[in-house]
Amino acid sequence: MAETAVESDQLVFSFDELMTEDAYEEPLITGGVRCHGGYIGGKYVSPRGAVRRRAIANWHRRLAADGLPVVVVPDKYVPPSYPNYPQAKFLLTEGVVDPLTRALTIISIVEGFGARIREVQLPDFDREIKESIDGTSLAHLGSGLFEAHARDEAGHRDQGGHKQMWEAARDVGLDKPDIPNDVLLRLMTGGSRGERKRAFPELSERMEGMITMMANVLIIETFADNTFTWAKQLLGDPEVSADAERAAHIVDCIARDEVPHVDYLTVALSELRGHTLCSPDGTFAIPGSEVIDTIFRGQLRGMATQRPRENRERLRTEIRQAIADESRATRIARTFEDLDAGWEFPHADDEELDILLSPA
Amino acid sequence: MHIRANPLYRRIRIGWTALCVWWRYKRLTWSDRLRRREPDADALHRVHQRNADHIFHTAVTLRGMLVKMCQVIGTRSDVFPREFVDTLAKCQDRLPPRDFDTIRRVVEEDFGRPIHEVFTEFDREAVAAASLAQVHKARLASGEEVAVKVQYPDIEQIMHIDLQASRHIAVIYNRFDKSPLDFIPLLDELQKHLRMELDFRREVESADRLREFFADEPSVKIPRVFAELSTRRVITMEFVEGARVNDPDALKDAGVNLDGYMARLMRIFNRMILAYGFFHADPHPGNILVNANEHGRPVFTLIDFGLAKQLPDGFGMGLFELMFSMMTFNESAMLRAFRELGFETQTGNEETLLHIARRMIARSDTGAFQGEFTEDMTDEMFDAIREDPVVSVPTDFVLVARAFALLSGIGHALGQSANALDALGPNPS
Repeated sequence: MAETAVESDQLVFSFDELMTEDAYEEPLITGGVRCHGGYIGGKYVSPRGAVRRRAIANWHRRLAADGLPVVVVPDKYVPPSYPNYPQAKFLLTEGVVDPLTRALTIISIVEGFGARIREVQLPDFDREIKESIDGTSLAHLGSGLFEAHARDEAGHRDQGGHKQMWEAARDVGLDKPDIPNDVLLRLMTGGSRGERKRAFPELSERMEGMITMMANVLIIETFADNTFTWAKQLLGDPEVSADAERAAHIVDCIARDEVPHVDYLTVALSELRGHTLCSPDGTFAIPGSEVIDTIFRGQLRGMATQRPRENRERLRTEIRQAIADESRATRIARTFEDLDAGWEFPHADDEELDILLSPA
Repeated sequence: MHIRANPLYRRIRIGWTALCVWWRYKRLTWSDRLRRREPDADALHRVHQRNADHIFHTAVTLRGMLVKMCQVIGTRSDVFPREFVDTLAKCQDRLPPRDFDTIRRVVEEDFGRPIHEVFTEFDREAVAAASLAQVHKARLASGEEVAVKVQYPDIEQIMHIDLQASRHIAVIYNRFDKSPLDFIPLLDELQKHLRMELDFRREVESADRLREFFADEPSVKIPRVFAELSTRRVITMEFVEGARVNDPDALKDAGVNLDGYMARLMRIFNRMILAYGFFHADPHPGNILVNANEHGRPVFTLIDFGLAKQLPDGFGMGLFELMFSMMTFNESAMLRAFRELGFETQTGNEETLLHIARRMIARSDTGAFQGEFTEDMTDEMFDAIREDPVVSVPTDFVLVARAFALLSGIGHALGQSANALDALGPNPS
């Protein structure tokens, strides 16, 4: 693809530059909806990437040159998709479609809510970070990176984003299934409802809120890798998919689009680790690494343990609800459980999680 | 207070009001035509206001169906001028009560025994009075305090007289006015609605449905109804007190922590509207009482389920898609959502619908829709719809938009946003 001119050491970019599109030869149209991105030389190219890709690479390079480690979610902490591919395929072959339709619809809605990242209230970086952040990805969060991320997830104007792409993958693969009426109810009754306690009350709410949100999104995006693999296998399986090739391709496009999200969030959180964070009145200072590591580890543990547990319990109930005949439900539930490979989080509650990757 | 049920008196009074309303509009039109000038918008607003005041006065005097009709007009911003909607929406629950003997008679007729055998105590003064019924505080033999809602004994007859008179007037109006506004469908809707509302057993069913739906939600309370002490004209329910939902001082006195207050309230209405498809369609501040739980978090008590509404299948998803597409400025998705919700244009030109959406978005607080249907936005939407009568809006949407606008008003009184999309998020804090 044709690269827009970006110097290898350029670290400052305008909003418009970060939104620059590649010169697509053909748009991505799926499910009757014009989506973002497009094709060059027959290959799918993600949206708003002409400059953004290189910009993130440059910030990443500078981080490595400064000898700073990056935050990562090691594979061992990533819970497998539930249901797994054999389980999901089994449900489809048994005609139990609702749980999967519901799951894919909820994924599409949650992706759409990614647009809210543009509403994150940024802290006053000048006052609340001791060192200058000029030329970092942090300095570009509010001037292009969050907005591009929001548009990728929810779509923008007449271009669909991941919300519409997941809907299309669902409809193409499962042949326009009926959407269960309780999707929104499930969404509202799911997830943690506890009060969020401040981990660093000396820092501004905006600073802690921003870090928590970024850590949360980065973990979700990393976990999503397994979801992409699962969806590509399932919706790309001609034995159960109405249009295997097309459905798998749409999921693949989404997976490609998510790469810059993981990259910029990784770089920005890693940059923050290397800075000193201050209270708004300047009377309190703390190494960024302490803040990021505490918040990131806490989020990771919660999301890798509590949510998979909730998912399992919920799906078991849904399968029972989807099958009217009691004996058939029992038989299907038993086979479904037999296909579960199981998974345990590899660390005890008091063990510290590995979340850092030192520069090579 | 005595209500005049004499059919002739009521017909004359209703007819006279209708004639005055009609005459004021005609006089203005003829006067503009005679002077060969463009219609004067200020003068028209003044006539709207005078007519609305006149109707309000007649309704409060005659009560019966007229009050109910005013309440319906007060919810139909898509049809009636703003002066009518604002003035007639005041016909809420602040009417003078009927005398105690009238109420006692209904209770004794329905239970077949003296009132003191049904309730050990029964306050002679009403707690609240509305168009169809009034509420008294009472006590059961068990010692429990209850609220007893009693329907006025002559209300069915009065409704019948008023509806008949209104229909006659509407027919005459349609015959003599060259460009009549057709009131017959509105009267049909009103009649259907009143028939349901006059049977209190339906209200009890609505309360039961929502209580069951919210059984796992400790932040919502639906007062318990005593089925054995409820009839077609009487409802006996648990007596609940609480702070008014939009009164910051009262909430503070009640120990309610206001952090995330509106998000919690929106979540409750989202669950009803978007997820359950059955909702309390009249969340005006008098119908929501608030108490604090042991952590200072609000517990919202919903009362008065006369206007509970069943929404069609898929309505919640359609509304969600509309909000979502407005948030992302996705106009083709907006059109799909409008169609799913049942919006129609007589001409088939969908640009009209987009025009409405654009006007709404432009009136939001930030110039971009972020999930809150503010009063300004719904006013703008209804203005746009009135200006372009080719658009037909589903009644369900009107009621839901009004409910969200009322919630937005509550939020504004507390300096908080009533953001429906925020409250829908998968992981609210």
